[in-house]
Amino acid sequence: MKCENIEELLSAYLEDDLSPEEKRTVEKHLKTCQSCNDLLSFIEETNKSLADFPQLEVSENLLDRLYSIPSRKKKLKVSFDFLLRPSLQPIFAAATILMIMISFYLFHPDRNTINKTINRQVHLGYSKIERLYANAESFTGHLGAYKDKILVSLKNMKLLGGNEDQKVKT
Amino acid sequence: MIVNTYSKRIFNMAYQFTGTYEEAEDMTQDIFMKLYTSLTKYDFEKNFSAWLLTLAKNYLIDEYRRTKWEKKSRDNFNEHYLPSEAFESPEYGILKEETKKIIWEGINQLSSEVRMTVILRDIQGKKYEEIAEIMSLPLGTIKSRVNRGRLQLAKILKEKKERKNEM
Repeated sequence: MKCENIEELLSAYLEDDLSPEEKRTVEKHLKTCQSCNDLLSFIEETNKSLADFPQLEVSENLLDRLYSIPSRKKKLKVSFDFLLRPSLQPIFAAATILMIMISFYLFHPDRNTINKTINRQVHLGYSKIERLYANAESFTGHLGAYKDKILVSLKNMKLLGGNEDQKVKT
Repeated sequence: MIVNTYSKRIFNMAYQFTGTYEEAEDMTQDIFMKLYTSLTKYDFEKNFSAWLLTLAKNYLIDEYRRTKWEKKSRDNFNEHYLPSEAFESPEYGILKEETKKIIWEGINQLSSEVRMTVILRDIQGKKYEEIAEIMSLPLGTIKSRVNRGRLQLAKILKEKKERKNEM
């Protein structure tokens, strides 16, 4: 067997993880090959060296950073929870509809026509209110005119000690 | 608490993988942030330690591929690793430290998958079965990667030492 093939088996040989046949082949080769024997020693040295690497302690600074992660996450979650409260959903829905309407108005190609229609509707509404106001004024006038007659009628009522036969002076 | 139990393990794994202290600290923080956001996906029937190491392994390898770490140099070995105490003789201690330095720098020449497998097996001392679970790979593939990594490091060590002896 060539050295290249034996090299592949050396690490497993050190861990006694070869089949009996592979083990015999490696041992037979090692008896005659100095280069593979050297490599075997270096693999052994590498393994020992790796196993002897110390484990470093975590710095105070890193520990502080790690401890602050959950609270930061929690704070963020609270603010999101507030925004996702079900009671705010109708407000968000209304805001969305309003935004759609505003964008529909702002970006509509026929914006001038919409403006004219709005103006016309506003004027119509305004004139309706004026008419209503005028009607209310005339109704107040009529009530004023009838007020005196009603008062005299009340004075002349028999029940209140008046004379019903006395005619109302007009 | 998760930080107390796992921070040292994750930080050392990140440091051995990246080779730079500051990056390892940043990576550890990123891994813990990822952990908190992924906790809802954790299956309670699975081994938590293996699950966390899988998450860390995935993050480190993804970052390695994204940022091309292999081109970066590692920290000087003695910058953070203090010399080991109590050797049989000072000469033996110096030789041992020299070997560690060569191996430490040699780790940079291993591919991300081989590097991670060697770290888990030979530095962190995990069993092959545990590594297979963490890496989600068959046992044979893990053993083959460990063998390849050790052989590559041993060849680097052999070359450096032979060159030194020639000088």
